[in-house]
Amino acid sequence: MTKYILKRVGYSIVTLFLLVAITFFMMQLLPGDPFTGEKQLPAAQMEALYAKYGLDKPVWQQFFIYIGNVVQGDLGVSLTYNRAVTLMITEAFAISFDVGIRSICFAFIGGVLLGTLAAIKRGKAADTVAMIIALLGVSVPSFVVASVLQYFLGLKLYMATGMRIFAITGWEGFNSHILPVVALGFGSLATISRLMRTSMLDVLGQDYIKTAKAKGLSQSGIIFKHAMRNAIMPVVTVLGPITAGILTGGFVVESVFGIPGLGKYFVQSIQGLDYTMICGTTVFYGAFLIIANLVVDIAYGLIDPRVKLEG
Amino acid sequence: MTQIDKSRFEWIGSDSARREGISRPSTTFWKDAIGRLMKNKVAVVCFFIIVLLILSCIIVPFFSPFESREQHLGEVNKGFMTVCTDSRYEGQHHVHYFGTDNLGRDLFLRAFEGGRVSLMIAFAAVFVNLIVGLIYGGISGYVGGAVDTIMMRIVEIVNGIPYLIVVILLMMVLPKGIFTMVVAYGITGWTGMARLVRGQVLQLKSQEYIVAAEAMGAKSSRIIAKHLIPNALSVIIINVTLAIPSAIFTEAFLSYIGLGVPVPQPSWGVLAKGGQDVFMTYPYQLVVPAVAISLTMLSFNLLGDGLRDAFDPRLRR
Amino acid sequence: MNKVLDVQNLHVSFDTYAGEVKAVRGVTFSLSEGEVLAIVGESGCGKSVTAQTIMKLNPMPPARIKEGSVQLGEHDIVAANEKEMQKIRGKEVSMIFQDPMTCLNPTKPVGKQIVEAIQHHRHLSKAEAKAEAIKYLSLVNIPNPEERAKQYPHEFSGGMRQRAMIAMALSCNPKLLIADEPTTALDVTIQAQIMDLLAEIKEKTSTAIILITHDLGVVASMADRVAVMYAGKVVETGTCEDIFYRNAHPYTQALLKSLPSVDMNKTQRLVSIPGTPPDLLNPPKGCGFGARCTHCMKICHEEQPPVFKVGEGHEAACWLLHPDCPSAAERGEPDEQ
Repeated sequence: MTKYILKRVGYSIVTLFLLVAITFFMMQLLPGDPFTGEKQLPAAQMEALYAKYGLDKPVWQQFFIYIGNVVQGDLGVSLTYNRAVTLMITEAFAISFDVGIRSICFAFIGGVLLGTLAAIKRGKAADTVAMIIALLGVSVPSFVVASVLQYFLGLKLYMATGMRIFAITGWEGFNSHILPVVALGFGSLATISRLMRTSMLDVLGQDYIKTAKAKGLSQSGIIFKHAMRNAIMPVVTVLGPITAGILTGGFVVESVFGIPGLGKYFVQSIQGLDYTMICGTTVFYGAFLIIANLVVDIAYGLIDPRVKLEG
Repeated sequence: MTQIDKSRFEWIGSDSARREGISRPSTTFWKDAIGRLMKNKVAVVCFFIIVLLILSCIIVPFFSPFESREQHLGEVNKGFMTVCTDSRYEGQHHVHYFGTDNLGRDLFLRAFEGGRVSLMIAFAAVFVNLIVGLIYGGISGYVGGAVDTIMMRIVEIVNGIPYLIVVILLMMVLPKGIFTMVVAYGITGWTGMARLVRGQVLQLKSQEYIVAAEAMGAKSSRIIAKHLIPNALSVIIINVTLAIPSAIFTEAFLSYIGLGVPVPQPSWGVLAKGGQDVFMTYPYQLVVPAVAISLTMLSFNLLGDGLRDAFDPRLRR
Repeated sequence: MNKVLDVQNLHVSFDTYAGEVKAVRGVTFSLSEGEVLAIVGESGCGKSVTAQTIMKLNPMPPARIKEGSVQLGEHDIVAANEKEMQKIRGKEVSMIFQDPMTCLNPTKPVGKQIVEAIQHHRHLSKAEAKAEAIKYLSLVNIPNPEERAKQYPHEFSGGMRQRAMIAMALSCNPKLLIADEPTTALDVTIQAQIMDLLAEIKEKTSTAIILITHDLGVVASMADRVAVMYAGKVVETGTCEDIFYRNAHPYTQALLKSLPSVDMNKTQRLVSIPGTPPDLLNPPKGCGFGARCTHCMKICHEEQPPVFKVGEGHEAACWLLHPDCPSAAERGEPDEQ
């Protein structure tokens, strides 16, 4: 197990390094440097900044300085907002994280339940309905889901009933949480429920389920004590990619719902060509996802006793 | 016990024609798979929807009287089925079937031209993935040993980098356009295909029926044609079918966050973004690109599912 | 002796896309306390379906009991609903399966899986149930049962897993133990150990055993009685001696001829039975074995053979046994080579 964790950690460190390197060299390819913005700074200040960020040194030295800065959590200064990128990220990401975690919980719990239901009722109406929902979720992009929810449940429902059941924008109070979380989590919910159905059907066809039935366990006993845990395992392996999907999906959903999260700032910085912000956010997102993947891998090793034997 | 006539005890003996009770007509792998696919009505319908979409995206723009970047400033944000009143088309009774956008451009034409761009990006991106994956995975699996280990480590590391992040970075650096999108998607998306191809090659290399075929004196060309290609190809076809919706989604996503194809050119992602911006006031503008994207993704997903079922010998009945 | 199980004229069908597969077509047998009945037949003859029907393990639908009765002690299995079956399964009747590699849940310790069965049927505390589980693990000759109980199935060898399965099956003192090809997936040496263990259980407990197998060698060592099945029907039943030395059904004879034996001389060849069993989607009107039978007569294709008594407790379903059946020469059957 220790070997397994060490191996995973090793991979993650290499990947992180590669990500920082890619970001750095991409930045080198960009026109100008981080401080030639629209507002021209005084020459003395420029030189101070150049010295601070080592822009007067050769590229390879700059690279190590950059890595050093990243390790220390210094990602530069936003061109549009003229504030430390790290500070902005930590502020805005708290909201994005809140949105994302709720969406993942929604997607995971909803997907597992929907997939299990479909598997148990295989071939019946419940299965068909569940799988149509799942197919829609896989096929309809999140910004469409977001817009449709916002239009019908946010706007039209308000106009029809006169009651603010769901807020149209923002991230304050429970009624403003529901629509963004559903919009952001729907696609992942669909992926998980499709996977869960296949996995559950596979597990239910296993011999040990027959053994459990032969012991006299009830259907629900079999599902919860024997099938559920084993069927969830393949789902856990996709939690890494799901997290990535939710995070990147957040760019769009946060913009649609006007949630002041990191995703919204990221899209704004892309559109406003705020290079330091883009690179800082990219490194941050990349690192976050790599660590999330690492956690998922280790968690998988913990829940599946068979992994312990391998290295 | 009732008396039974002696004649009924006349000897017949075993009957070679009848004794093969459990048997079914033998078919080839492909015939069998296509047969099963044809029985899957949903998959067949999806296949025709895809063909129809592709053909109409190619053909329809040729028959439109308008140009995709042509602005009718007199008729901005008009709804579905608006008759064209622009002075250039006076007396010709043309109709903006899907209405016009905020610059008075014909959304019917732009939807199909956008489809051209989106589908082209998707197919080209998946094609690049396929080629890179085939070569990389093929070499890795075929050579094996240390080379395989190193190549797979690299895949694992590349795979660890979130691809959308890299795509976004690449899109920032490279000039905007279709080619850049294909490159960006191609650079990051090949790992899955490479793994798949390697897995197939490894599996096939060690498969007992291949050994059996060799032992029975089959020529290697015959082994490749009759065993390797059908097995590997089915998996690859399924994967390609399922990779296309993901490429379409990526295009839409990038366009949506402002990294799509350059401005005058339409794509489904660009149109969706445009529709999204005015969604609260002119919701119809989002409907067409949203439906187009969703329908295409849905069809490819369902076709992929159908293909997977059709190629799976375990599902033979 | 007490009758533990009584199966009368059991018909089981599966509703599939292609149509109704008549997997079991009228099976009758019974079992007394402590008795071992072997059900023998080739793949697809309905022996496993029969066994699983006794526990109602096959999912219904597609499976369906069309006709007949299954009486297990005082329980009417055909009429029992799912809730009642859950009380019967594991307690009154338990089962061990063919492949011990896949029959234990890979993510639960072996001991826990046995404890689960004990706690489900016997009102014991967790600690007592654990002690019971360990007791049964040592009963099936697993060394270090305390340690082993904490381990996961992948840490067990195939033979050990099958022992653990047997321990689990016995843990609630069932009246009937069904062993569905318990040795097929194991090495020959391990097979012998498992059979010895089953024989030991037969000695030590009053549990009746149904042993399902396609291996006649396994049967000879421990079965009291043997039922030979073919195409969803029991074609011959009798004691081991009846089946091996006084067999009356051509299928039993053909099956025995296909077995290698030590006292066979070197020039003799094994005889395979040409052809395959009939398609049970459209079972033949007459005898299921007719098309493959060298003695097949006109009547065999026209009418199902009734069961004829051959000796005390020895029965077979074949038209050759009909009192009116003339001699081979009169039927026009050529001499065997």
